[in-house]
Amino acid sequence: MSDDAADVQRVLAGDVDAYAALVDRYYDRCARYAVRMLGNRDDAEDALQATFLRAYRALNRYQERDRFSAWLYRILVNQCRSVAARRAHRDRVFVREEALLLNAPDRTPNWSGEDEEFVQRVLNELDPLLREAFLLKYIDEMSYEEMSALTGVGVSALKMRVKRACDRLRDRWERIKDE
Amino acid sequence: MTHGSLQRNLGILAGTGVLLVLSALPAVAQDPDPLAKLETKDRFVIELLIDSASVAGLPSNALRQMALQGIAKHADGRQIVQAVRKQLNLLRTAREVLGPVDDQELTAGASVLSAGAKPVQLAAFRPRKKGRNDLEAFVVWADFLERKVPSEEAFSAISKLWQDGADDDTFHSLWTNVQSDISQGLNPGTALQNRIREAPGRASPVTVKPPEGAAGEPKLEMI
Amino acid sequence: MNDSELHPFVESIAREARRPVVTDPAARERIMAAVRAEPAPSRRFGIWSRFVAPRAFTLSPAGGALLAAGLVGVGIFAGSLAFNRDGQSTVGRSQVAVAPQLPVSDTVVRFIYVAPRATTVYVVGDFNGWDTTKTPLSRTSTEGVWSVTLPLSAGRHIYAYVVDGTWSADPHAPLAPDDGFGHANSVKLVRRGSSS
Repeated sequence: MSDDAADVQRVLAGDVDAYAALVDRYYDRCARYAVRMLGNRDDAEDALQATFLRAYRALNRYQERDRFSAWLYRILVNQCRSVAARRAHRDRVFVREEALLLNAPDRTPNWSGEDEEFVQRVLNELDPLLREAFLLKYIDEMSYEEMSALTGVGVSALKMRVKRACDRLRDRWERIKDE
Repeated sequence: MTHGSLQRNLGILAGTGVLLVLSALPAVAQDPDPLAKLETKDRFVIELLIDSASVAGLPSNALRQMALQGIAKHADGRQIVQAVRKQLNLLRTAREVLGPVDDQELTAGASVLSAGAKPVQLAAFRPRKKGRNDLEAFVVWADFLERKVPSEEAFSAISKLWQDGADDDTFHSLWTNVQSDISQGLNPGTALQNRIREAPGRASPVTVKPPEGAAGEPKLEMI
Repeated sequence: MNDSELHPFVESIAREARRPVVTDPAARERIMAAVRAEPAPSRRFGIWSRFVAPRAFTLSPAGGALLAAGLVGVGIFAGSLAFNRDGQSTVGRSQVAVAPQLPVSDTVVRFIYVAPRATTVYVVGDFNGWDTTKTPLSRTSTEGVWSVTLPLSAGRHIYAYVVDGTWSADPHAPLAPDDGFGHANSVKLVRRGSSS
């Protein structure tokens, strides 16, 4: 029995504090996805809080043959979508990518690859579903099969989205280069 | 639908002792995909357009149904691609003009554009208050345009009724009467002018200019 | 597409994005505090899991969303969920496709076509995937009148009839705009909670 499954059993047997072990094991990784996906820490924290709470409530439905991380990520991805949807409804912003680029600040960093704010801004420019696919593929380094099971989207559609995300990022670079 | 009301509805179901099995939910589709009837290159483009719609928060099912319709009618692959692409652009324009309306209203708004209305005319229906549903108005408007009622007259009649708060039944009656007159040989524009006088609250037909400025003519983006 | 094919800029973005983010240690405390305030998840539904999770089951977006909402175990909803035909939540219109495609049937609708000399009449539209053989009409007791009754979700539906192989719009329904396929279509507008 894996550590995850053992901890789940302990929690179900009544040891609530055993849940802290699961949180500790997965929080950072989930936080990384949530922050990159939602673009700000407040929203990410909302999504993370909701994710771990819902996972706790649904713990008795976790099947040992599923990987706990995949099971948890399914909840995380959906929570991030919910938070984004609530935020979009609140803001009622329909901003085209081009407009976003035009509004970006003038400074073009000497691209050293270590500018987190720049990276986040570039990611924010991707359409949410493209960003989601890109993050799962290249940040969480999942296989397309895992991503498909997680999102319910077909493998070929996911491959298309990842490719398009990469194309847009590449286009962004072309524009940066020319400035 | 908020989480709260979802929970409440399920509470009701649970309370009646009805807890059914998860397998009743539709899983990933098992039937062969009818789009497989298309040539690969056409199918690829159409799937891409459908995905573009999803990514942009537009009703992708409307595009899928468009493709299925084309297949059923034995249309040429290139024609089907054109029709789907056109529909995607119409949905984008409708979204720019109408804002965050639900998919039904969006598709109905796109159909009005498809029938020949101008985006600036559709902008008159951008919702200002909650709870009002434009489906009947849009369906009737698109029908009038399809039957060759002149564009300005159709817009004028529909938008004025809408601004006066006409309900679905009023629009439906107008449609029934106008359609009946046209089928008896009356000129479509004339038929509308006659019948609009009868509509509740309308003393005489008024030609209304479309609203200025704001929405303008949104750029149609080609994929 | 494997990593070796990634454009250098894209690879840099990915590499940077893979770095851990700074998190607030208090956030985990808040999670545990919330968890402790919850009723303990027991094995109460344990036996259900044997019925509820068939081996070959693929978790659809519907299942995923429901699982996330802690709602596994309920199968059919009686039309009170605001999910439209595309499976997208009608609340909070955003750029993200949120949820499930659930079969919601609000209303039963009758389609009628008058064709005294026809041998076969089908209704074909977006409610049956434009399948020309799926929904035949049958003759009624009245001479030349064909009909069929279908459950349809509330909203706007596009359709046409196929009468002995020939496409025909509904003469008593509003016209849908010409889709460029050479045959006119009709619109059926189903109002919530009505029957027509």
